[in-house]
Amino acid sequence: MSKKVCFENIELDYELPSIKANVTQEMIVKFACASLDFNPIHIDPIWAKRVNLLGVGKTIAHGQWTIAKLTQVITNWCYVDGGRLKSIDIKLIKPVFVGDTVTFRGKVVAKHPRTREMSFVEVELWAENQKGEMVAIGKAEVYLPSCANK
Amino acid sequence: MELSTEAKELVKRFLKTEKQKNYQFDFLVDSQKYIKWEDVEIGMEEVSKKEFVVTKEDVDAYNEATDEANPLFTCEEFAKKTAWGGLIAPPMFITPIAFWLAGDSEIGNWIKTPGAINPGQKIEFYEPIRVGDVIKARMVAHDKYIKRGKRYLIYYIEFFNQRGELVVKWWGTLILPLSKPDEEHKIEGVRK
Repeated sequence: MSKKVCFENIELDYELPSIKANVTQEMIVKFACASLDFNPIHIDPIWAKRVNLLGVGKTIAHGQWTIAKLTQVITNWCYVDGGRLKSIDIKLIKPVFVGDTVTFRGKVVAKHPRTREMSFVEVELWAENQKGEMVAIGKAEVYLPSCANK
Repeated sequence: MELSTEAKELVKRFLKTEKQKNYQFDFLVDSQKYIKWEDVEIGMEEVSKKEFVVTKEDVDAYNEATDEANPLFTCEEFAKKTAWGGLIAPPMFITPIAFWLAGDSEIGNWIKTPGAINPGQKIEFYEPIRVGDVIKARMVAHDKYIKRGKRYLIYYIEFFNQRGELVVKWWGTLILPLSKPDEEHKIEGVRK
């Protein structure tokens, strides 16, 4: 079993385990149902074509799905050990289309030592498609437990 | 205007939970009711009339749609043994709560605007969300501006649980489509 995640043991530039996902129209519709975001830009290929959505005319995946997967990089990494998200700030810079394969990544870029279990790290988050194009970028602040409590 | 038959049929195949089945999934049908960018007044606010009662099927559906395999979110026995003391919902489970509460309020219903684009979101997390929680929200129009020919709206939502504890603070951003083309000439900087 891998070592528990705690604040003092984390080194700057540590890369979190990444996640990869393939985008299909079924996946988008499933997320629409689960998130209650049924915007036609996601679920209606005929409407997207008619309004020539984003000049491409195709449905796009939910930005909230991309954000969910980026936060999953954090939760997979540290939640079981008692880490928890303090905040996220994500910019969605390119649309994600059906057929894309997106990889979600994170890297620790700063450590903020505090007392009383309030220490947190700053994690740079980004997502890139199969062409290596960045589709989202941002950061998360993540509280981590002290190693002294393990 | 309505969704295409093809889209409706595909959605109906995947509707699972009570909330999903009782939610108007055709955002085009009511699109005239959503507040337009031109009509947003900064500071306008509302507390949601609806509540979001968190059920296991809501969280399960969200976990399935996001390929969530973390046992902290899916296995009660496992979660009990962690520092969390039991199952919690993934942090971004706040998304369906926002659509349930803001989407069906007056202030905030812009999140259902057909053609609205999500350029990014800023969210702070406080208390975790668990099955049985009852969540309400306060929505406030925070800012609107035109940048590079696009019309941005920033709205702030605070979510509270049944104990009055703060759950999430969310500064949401949307790029809203042209809603009143006949008034376009009045809006400096809007790209045709």
